[in-house]
Amino acid sequence: MTEMTRREAIALTSAAIAGVTLSGRAWADIAPKRGGTLRISAPANPSSLDPATGGAGSDHAFLFTMYDTLIEWDFETLAPKPGLAGSWKFTDPNTLVLNIRSGVTFHDGTPLDADAVKFNLERNKSDQKSNIKADLASVASVEVTSPTQVTLKLSTPDTALPLILSDRAGMMVSPSALKAAEGGTVARKPVGAGAYAFVSWADGERIVVKRNEKYWKPNRPLPDGIEFSIIPELTTGARSVTAGQNDLIYQLPPRQKAIIERASSVKVVSGPTLYVLQIFLNWAKPPFDNPKVRQALNFAIDREAFVKAALAGLAEPAYMNLPKAHWAYDKSVAGLYPYDPDKARKLLAEAGFKDGLTLDLLGYPDQDSVQRQEILIEQLRKAGMTARFANAPIAEASAAFFASEKRGSGLLSAWTGRPDPSLTYSLMFTKDAYYNAGRAPVPPELEAAIKESRASEDIEQRRKAFATVQRLVMENAFVAPLAFQYELVAMNKKVQGYRPNLLGKPKYDDVWLES
Amino acid sequence: MARRSPVKVVGSRLLQALPVIVLATFMVFALLKLVPGDIAVTLAGDNASDARITEIRHIYGLDRPFLVQYGVWLGNVIQGDLSQSLLTGEQVATSIGRAFPNTLLIVVIALILALLTGIPMGVIAAIKPNGWVDKAVSMIASLGVAIPGFWLAMILVAEISLRLNWLPATGAKSLTASPIEAIRHALLPGIAIAAYGMAEVARQLRGSLLEVLSSQYVRTLHAKGLSMSRILWQHGLKNVSVNLFTIISLLVNRMLAATVVIEAVFAIPGLGSLIVRGAIQRDFPIVQGVVFTMVIVVILVNLITDLLCAAIDPRIEQ
Repeated sequence: MTEMTRREAIALTSAAIAGVTLSGRAWADIAPKRGGTLRISAPANPSSLDPATGGAGSDHAFLFTMYDTLIEWDFETLAPKPGLAGSWKFTDPNTLVLNIRSGVTFHDGTPLDADAVKFNLERNKSDQKSNIKADLASVASVEVTSPTQVTLKLSTPDTALPLILSDRAGMMVSPSALKAAEGGTVARKPVGAGAYAFVSWADGERIVVKRNEKYWKPNRPLPDGIEFSIIPELTTGARSVTAGQNDLIYQLPPRQKAIIERASSVKVVSGPTLYVLQIFLNWAKPPFDNPKVRQALNFAIDREAFVKAALAGLAEPAYMNLPKAHWAYDKSVAGLYPYDPDKARKLLAEAGFKDGLTLDLLGYPDQDSVQRQEILIEQLRKAGMTARFANAPIAEASAAFFASEKRGSGLLSAWTGRPDPSLTYSLMFTKDAYYNAGRAPVPPELEAAIKESRASEDIEQRRKAFATVQRLVMENAFVAPLAFQYELVAMNKKVQGYRPNLLGKPKYDDVWLES
Repeated sequence: MARRSPVKVVGSRLLQALPVIVLATFMVFALLKLVPGDIAVTLAGDNASDARITEIRHIYGLDRPFLVQYGVWLGNVIQGDLSQSLLTGEQVATSIGRAFPNTLLIVVIALILALLTGIPMGVIAAIKPNGWVDKAVSMIASLGVAIPGFWLAMILVAEISLRLNWLPATGAKSLTASPIEAIRHALLPGIAIAAYGMAEVARQLRGSLLEVLSSQYVRTLHAKGLSMSRILWQHGLKNVSVNLFTIISLLVNRMLAATVVIEAVFAIPGLGSLIVRGAIQRDFPIVQGVVFTMVIVVILVNLITDLLCAAIDPRIEQ
């Protein structure tokens, strides 16, 4: 028994025990069972079912069912663990060797060997349609060193790569399907090597996948298939679960918990994630070009109260971009900004805003966003800041803030986590990063520390580098993090074995259906 | 005066519709381009960069002049190609082909319900104007006009689906695969839209029937000794049927518009949901395709109504 299957066996056993204590039924009834169709209410139509050409963070909930990744992560800590690559090793700082599991095939029968991995990595790195070229920027070349071994030559040391390969860049697509596909993408006819094979996709309506009978993980998956109904209105989606038309809904807003728990047929699971609500700041223009104003903003926010009022307590107050459960979390940074409106006023006065300051911020018009804005407006008012929000749909507001228009000095939005924290920091806090709205320079020691975090494979050294990164980001107050929103999943009581994960993008690895 | 042949009439009406189609789609296209928001940013995804966004604009031709982009779209339509979604690559014709029956079924159900309830209400109200029946009818009709469809929809779901569990709360089923299930799914949204239609039919019918019943020839019919029911069914309703058809055609167009909100409440993948998704994501081929379809439907409904009215009442100039 490999390490992984033992872990899974333990997880399943504990789920089974929990089931027994809950229902008081006999063991035989509750043992993991094959069969049944898992019906899921999904909040968004995927942007594409080709991992390389898509872009939305909400795609993963579908992609993970059809594509396996070279590397996987631990549900609780996001530490990397073997996936399609049974093992990996940095033989020197510029060389990463991946050993591919033998005998794995794609859904169309094409063998998943070293050649297939090379084909995928090269496509992800250089194909015109690929949205993830930047993820593999450090990879200089990919060589097949044996039928089951791929060697990546790097232009610069990059120990973030294993976890990068647990995301889009590591999702393996059948090379024969890609070569045969029109336009060189499998956006509408995905062929991977995941637990489920693609059946159909009707835009904005339904995605159907069925069990991959030749899946390499033993006894997986358990359901015959999954049917995703795409229901953007989350209240409607939650109703479809309480009414029994669907079995499970994920990414529910916290306010739904109390409502959905009233239904006796439904149980709720929640857990911490990397998904952080935050105010992005444009520090290239007034007033946030002044570090004192940015710090004042951070002192003015009562995060504990925000979590209670805006998120029904289903969140962790955020003082930086990593939550407590993460392996690179640094406790000392968390104490930088206790709630202190007087300190905020003092900093504002020092910055020349003795009589207060008006902030023009952007936001989104949905019910949850507006509620968060109201709470923030009130908190900031106590520290002498008048916040004004201009609201627009996500696509419009975020383009206005991050792209060329540069409207507003801040944007109340969220950051969906990345498997490796170095991506989170380099995508937001480097000079030309898109999510650095002003494209303003950052202290050279911050860029150096981000680079340093990718230089060593040693977890302690990486942790140290990230401590420096987090401290510099928060001392400069380049962002105002608010709260890590918990994953909130509601499901029918017959759904067993679902576990939340820290990334906050659902995986259904051990799920099975009680009949 | 010689009557023109129906073929000629239909032909000339369809010809007149062409500029309407071009104008409507052009205006929507212009609006989509005028409002802020850029699909290139969405297409670039969560790990966007400035360079990638520029590259995507070029790949999808979003950097070409506005008129050229519209021209390309129109050129494709003339060749029978509604092009494809920028975001997901699905053919727009496929999306519409799948969504349209769902919307149509709701509208048809709503229309039938509105007529089945609205016509009797209008008739009994007109027989004894200002009696208690008439007052009750006009109260119900006022409620029907005043109650927002989405609110009624949510109440219906809470009571009939969630509490009584009689009808499904969300979704749609294909009419060809399982007709009974399809109708069960479309019933609640149909009722939610029908409430307004019922009120409109009852009020309009009452008004025009009263006008007819107070006219001189009806007085003559009374004097001839004809019974009230014969006057009503043989003469009255025949004379208001032109009005009725006009109401129906207006209702169909209004109900189509109402599905945009109702489909969101019931998570029905119809034309309404499709155009909302397209508009929010700035996926303009989808929006253009739906607008194009809607314009054609409205033009056809109006054409059919005019032909029917002319068949009933030859005085109407074709």
